[in-house]
Amino acid sequence: MKRVLAILGVLAVATTACSGGGGGNVPGTSGGQVTVRWSTWGSAEDLKLYEKFTEDFHKRHPGIRLKLESVAKYEEYHPKLLTQLTSKTAPDVFFVGDDNIGKFVSAGVLTPLDDKLAGPDSKSRPEDFFDGVYGGAKRDGRIYGVPNDTNPEVLWFDKKALKDAGITEDPAALHEAEQWTMAKYLDMNAKLKAAGKAGSIFWNWYGSTYSMINGFGGKVWDGGKFVATTDPKALEALRTLAKGYQDKTFLSADILPDSNGPSTQFLKHKAGFYAGGRWMIDSLRKGGELDDYDIVPFPSPTGEPMPGAVAASYLAINKETKLPKEAFTFLTEFVGKDGQLLRLKGGGAVPSVKGAEQVVLEDGYPAHAQTFLDVRDTGFANYPEEVAVPGLTAAINEHLMTVWTGKVDFDQGMTELARLVESKMG
Amino acid sequence: MAVLTRPRLRPRVTRPAGGVRTHDGWWAVFFLTPQLAALAVFLIIPLGFAVVLAFMRWDGLGAKEWAGLDNFAAQLSDPDFGQAVWNTVKLALLTVPFGLALALLVAIALNSVRGSGFYRVLYFMPVVTSSVAVALMWQVILAGDEYGVLNTSLERWFGLTAPDWLGDPGWVIVAIAVVTIWSSLGLNVVIFLAGLQTIPPQIVEAARVDGASGLRIFRSVTLPMLSPTIFFSTVVAVISSFQAFDQIYVLVNPEHNEGARTIVYQVYELGFRDFQFGMSSAAALILLVLTLLVTLVQFAAQKRLVHYDS
Repeated sequence: MKRVLAILGVLAVATTACSGGGGGNVPGTSGGQVTVRWSTWGSAEDLKLYEKFTEDFHKRHPGIRLKLESVAKYEEYHPKLLTQLTSKTAPDVFFVGDDNIGKFVSAGVLTPLDDKLAGPDSKSRPEDFFDGVYGGAKRDGRIYGVPNDTNPEVLWFDKKALKDAGITEDPAALHEAEQWTMAKYLDMNAKLKAAGKAGSIFWNWYGSTYSMINGFGGKVWDGGKFVATTDPKALEALRTLAKGYQDKTFLSADILPDSNGPSTQFLKHKAGFYAGGRWMIDSLRKGGELDDYDIVPFPSPTGEPMPGAVAASYLAINKETKLPKEAFTFLTEFVGKDGQLLRLKGGGAVPSVKGAEQVVLEDGYPAHAQTFLDVRDTGFANYPEEVAVPGLTAAINEHLMTVWTGKVDFDQGMTELARLVESKMG
Repeated sequence: MAVLTRPRLRPRVTRPAGGVRTHDGWWAVFFLTPQLAALAVFLIIPLGFAVVLAFMRWDGLGAKEWAGLDNFAAQLSDPDFGQAVWNTVKLALLTVPFGLALALLVAIALNSVRGSGFYRVLYFMPVVTSSVAVALMWQVILAGDEYGVLNTSLERWFGLTAPDWLGDPGWVIVAIAVVTIWSSLGLNVVIFLAGLQTIPPQIVEAARVDGASGLRIFRSVTLPMLSPTIFFSTVVAVISSFQAFDQIYVLVNPEHNEGARTIVYQVYELGFRDFQFGMSSAAALILLVLTLLVTLVQFAAQKRLVHYDS
């Protein structure tokens, strides 16, 4: 028995010696340097945008090395982050999506940032960011994550497709004249449909769905309650969407085949409108006649501008980090004005910080690029009540998809949706 | 009358007590420890943890709360879970009989071909190809529009309008079954080939001399003698189809197509999308019980259907 124990002891020592240190980031002094680990999602192309910032950061902070740990797919990023947080191996700083931030705030795994953001070392003060974009990253007046960039949801429109459908009015001009109403927009969609085209392509996510509800003057959440299934105007919006999806006035980008996806259809002038963010520019540059396309916000009931949905992601600091000072140095420079100017140049996002607007405007594309900034300045990230429940947004979208595709009758779908939200809210 | 006596056995060689045998035992422990440790760390402990979690409420970060049987009750009354079970059963019913029958036919054909090594390699290639790569390739073949290789071919050559294989909830499970059968065919072929080669040729020869036709030989000789192999392959194939996930995850997004939702996808979604690890573990435990039940039924049936040649 003693021998067995001795052998096991030797193996244990050997295993420990061979394994890397788990747990948090212990400030190692490799030539007096410490390494700040940070993580995000994105393709190789997306990650290239951080290279310049990293180089610049290393020059200015020779004592800090940045180590990026990326995950290609957004859907797989948060499960990995959750696992890392559970096992105390999470990076010092990490991105969190707007549909997950509420969960991490509730769990108490993020460092409150108010004092640091307002402090002398800050390059990104709390008031530098538009309040609506904080979304679930702000709770009880405390900030747990800073929006690192945004993507306001707008309607891209194809001038050629509109012209082919006999539409002579320009949506952007109508918006400027405060005549961009839901009625006008739906009328254009009907004309596009009659001309054998799709009216609009939407991704099945809160940005499009809730923008449509707002456009009808409806409410999604009110007083902490999900009212989209009871509010008459919200119901009207959802019914219009369901009917439109079923008669092919609207197309759901999620279920279009990869080989003939939304961008392909839009570039082929098969649809009049495509709801999306600034990331669309890249698709258009690759295959479209740039001048054929422009943007307009989602319409409102009266034509007066109204708040639109803004997709955001947040940068947060791990509460367990062993390098709070260095982690904050990275965070504040990353989300600060200079950091965003450096990172977002040529990218497909809109700065979340005030004073970096030239990133969006300097190319002069699209013609109404200012719309991105207008929507950002007055817009809203997903509702805090919704993002506080993990999977709720996805479950709502998933259920709505059964309504859009006609697998579930509209009224039954709404009843089930109300029940679903209630059960998830506990 | 001859007296039957037991033949004398050679005296057993015994090792000195506490000598080499004990020494061998230590070496065995030494060499097995890493594997046993890995088994404990990566299988036994997580399995135990999952069983405990199934009776808890846990979001992965906060405190765990005792939930008793609530998670099981919630899953068993959840229409999504019911749909997932039904889809999983449908997948098993499609992939197991058709997949094994096809593999058996191919194995018999290869068994009678000289120099079948090339074909064996050919059939085995999908097995060693990454399931993600396989799914991506089939995505191109089965796409339900003018870019889908299969549908375009059917329309061009036969004037047929085929369904949207991956988009239609009614057809998607058939599409997944086809991909599963294709990618597991090689493994089943190799197993059946090995089984066929254990059938003594003199038995087949004797049947032939007695005038048995090829079909009769297959029914009365090949199938019974191959029944242990068929049983083994059936058990493995059923378990595999119950655990289907990776190809489905890549091939279709079950979030947008409830026809593709399987039990393992439900487990994944509950755990890694909704952060409901207790509920997810309960679903996984139900899957484990279902798999055990089906396997027990198969083992019970083997007593009548499987022929073990003594």
